[in-house]
Amino acid sequence: MKSIRIFLIASILATLTLFNFIAALQGYKSSLHEAEKLFDRQLLQTAKLIANLHVDKTTNNLNQLSELAYQVWHNDQLLAASNNAQVETITEHHPGFGYANFDGYRWRTLAYFDPSNNNWIIAAERTDLRYILAEDVITKAVVPIVLGIPFVGLLIWLIISRGLKPLKDLSVRLKNKQVNDLTPIETPELKDELKQVTQSINVLIRRLGSALEREKRFTSDAAHELRTPISALKVQLHNLKGDLPAGNESFIQLQSGVERMQHLIEQLLSLYRSTPDEFSSHFTPVNLYQLAQDIIAEQHLVFEAKDQTLALEGSNNVIDGDPLTLSTLLQNLLSNANKYTPNGGSILVSVSGSKDQVCLKVEDSGPGIVSSDYNKVFERFQRLNNKPEVTVTQGCGLGLTIVKHIANLHHADISIAPSSFPSGAAFTLQFNKIPGQDAKHS
Amino acid sequence: MQNIVNRVAVLIVGMGFVFFGHYAVAGTPVIELTIKDHLFFPATIEIPANTKIKLLVINLDPTAEEFESYELNREKVILGNRKGVIFIGPLPPGEYPFFGEFYPKTAQGKVVVTDQ
Amino acid sequence: MFLNSVVLILQEILEAALLISVLLVFTRLRSIRPFWAIAAIASGAIGAYFFAHHMASISEWFDYVGQEVMNAFIQLAILFILAIFSAKYLGNTHSPHSSQMNRGFIVCTLLLVALSLTREGSEVFIYVGGALGDPSHVQPTLMGSVIGAGIGISVGVLIYYGLLGLPTKRISTSGLLLLSLIGGNMASQATLLLTQADWLPYSRILWDTSSWLPENSILGRLLYAIIGYEATPSLFQVFSYATGILLIFLCAQFSFRKQPPMLIKQTSTTTPQ
Repeated sequence: MKSIRIFLIASILATLTLFNFIAALQGYKSSLHEAEKLFDRQLLQTAKLIANLHVDKTTNNLNQLSELAYQVWHNDQLLAASNNAQVETITEHHPGFGYANFDGYRWRTLAYFDPSNNNWIIAAERTDLRYILAEDVITKAVVPIVLGIPFVGLLIWLIISRGLKPLKDLSVRLKNKQVNDLTPIETPELKDELKQVTQSINVLIRRLGSALEREKRFTSDAAHELRTPISALKVQLHNLKGDLPAGNESFIQLQSGVERMQHLIEQLLSLYRSTPDEFSSHFTPVNLYQLAQDIIAEQHLVFEAKDQTLALEGSNNVIDGDPLTLSTLLQNLLSNANKYTPNGGSILVSVSGSKDQVCLKVEDSGPGIVSSDYNKVFERFQRLNNKPEVTVTQGCGLGLTIVKHIANLHHADISIAPSSFPSGAAFTLQFNKIPGQDAKHS
Repeated sequence: MQNIVNRVAVLIVGMGFVFFGHYAVAGTPVIELTIKDHLFFPATIEIPANTKIKLLVINLDPTAEEFESYELNREKVILGNRKGVIFIGPLPPGEYPFFGEFYPKTAQGKVVVTDQ
Repeated sequence: MFLNSVVLILQEILEAALLISVLLVFTRLRSIRPFWAIAAIASGAIGAYFFAHHMASISEWFDYVGQEVMNAFIQLAILFILAIFSAKYLGNTHSPHSSQMNRGFIVCTLLLVALSLTREGSEVFIYVGGALGDPSHVQPTLMGSVIGAGIGISVGVLIYYGLLGLPTKRISTSGLLLLSLIGGNMASQATLLLTQADWLPYSRILWDTSSWLPENSILGRLLYAIIGYEATPSLFQVFSYATGILLIFLCAQFSFRKQPPMLIKQTSTTTPQ
């Protein structure tokens, strides 16, 4: 049953047709039966009439009958007969109705004994004619039932379409609902059957909305609550630095621990701050190439520290997006590359544009990622610990999750492939270009 | 399973060899039954009991007729101005009505099987 | 003419409607588009027209029993294709289907419906063609035909939705039951026709239920069309009816028992480390 509507129309129409037609058939049969009884009574009247007419006075007029036939017998002697009746008896001389073939027709026969004259009157009527008459009358009664079926079908179709309209409306409403639209569904006139469905959906939407609200509130609360003690910690660290001799191993560990914690909190916050609903509304044109240039300029010291070559290729390409989160994305990708690429390795950032897409690629010459792990790297707090380099790098394991999150916010596809270096991974982001804005090559 | 299917198939084919092929034709008595103006002539056919009969139905009408009898388990379309053969019997004594399915109001008849 | 047309058309339509609706259910189970039905009905109508057109000369074959022999041949062909159908496509509706298998399925169903319509439709063509020749018969014949066809098609639609409404597991077995009854019906009718043509010998009547359920009652007619009800069946008829049912059931064992090998492979895909 693919479509409720087709199922309803077909099965209702079939049921209706079946019972209507069988009823018509039954009506036809009983009407015909009644008609036959009526015709038989008439035949009996005719037989009595013939019996009462004096045999000798049988008029020529009666002899000319073609639809009726009669014989009058007295002691096996044919006294009178219509000219279409044979010489021999039409039927046996037993009182009652019957059928007989003669004169090229089939006849309904009646043998009637007239006790006053001791005569047997046999009257007969042509069956084909009496049936034509009866059938004509009764068939006319059946015609409207048959002709009515198409109209009934049309009506059923209209009624069912009307009846299913609220359901259709609801499904259209649900389909058109924006991903971030958490307002309850409103239907002007709600049918009882759909009330429960709509109510359940609205309860779900409400629960989803409050869950999201709580999450948001938690994030901002946490941001506030966590930042303050960390700032205090950093002040204390600064004070401690003066008290301790330089190069104290415990102090260095403590300092890097606090920095990691601050970094983790900032990452967590940026992950939750950017939920889809507040987002796409304030998109502005962003030149990815320039953005990459800026970030690289900002971060080149980190790469120099590991003696890595960092190159930028490509041209100016503008997309619609949020510059702040896009820089976070690039920063995370670059710091990821920096972390996993050994000293002296190379990192290549490229920005290229096609007709309707802009491609941002960050490649490194690190150990690379096994293809079965491609999906895992975007999971929260996931760090691929089978790489020896990981042990020496710092990170909270949220970077790539945030990258994926930001990519999703920009409706960009993110994929991982082996890099163009002998080893290493390439992260590719495909952004949709703003319609109408062409890439200007510099 | 394959075995059973094979056996059934062999059985059916075997039956075919035994029964198909022309059974007795020469000695079968022929009775003519004419259809005219949607009537059977003769309307009553008398045949002896336990004898197979070859019924030659001749349709003199321009329209087709279907010889049908529930009692005889027979059903056959006889086209207009054509003829057809129906084998009936051997039958126990009794009356076996038949009719023309296309014009049953008029085309009525019966086979009377008599003990001799 | 009216009642007559109803009975005649109903009987022929009902047999076809039953077959078509059961086959359509299996088409749905395999998620095949049901376009074959249109092609099958069209080719069945064309086949019926030609069969009716040449019925006069066909009837004269084999010493005036050509009609019986041809009809019996068509019925045995239907039984044969039904057997193939049940062996290959009946039970394994949920195993993965190759396009080649679907092609075979469509060919089978198309042939079944076209053959069955050819045989049944030819009688309708002959009857309606003759009845429309007489102007006084036109209206009752048309009305009767519409009523007969309406009842037959409605029963088909209800059987279709009735079968689809069953739990998925039982659709196949119910379909098998109906198809095996059709198979038994075909075998029994073929036997009867060959007896009528004197190609098979007479066998004694086994029982007589005509006083319980006369064959010429509406219910009797319906049952005749659907399950091949016969009030006074002969020994050979009962035997061939049982053989037909058994044949379809045995053949269906192949498709019901066969384990879909691809499915096992699919479930044991290696998980990444």
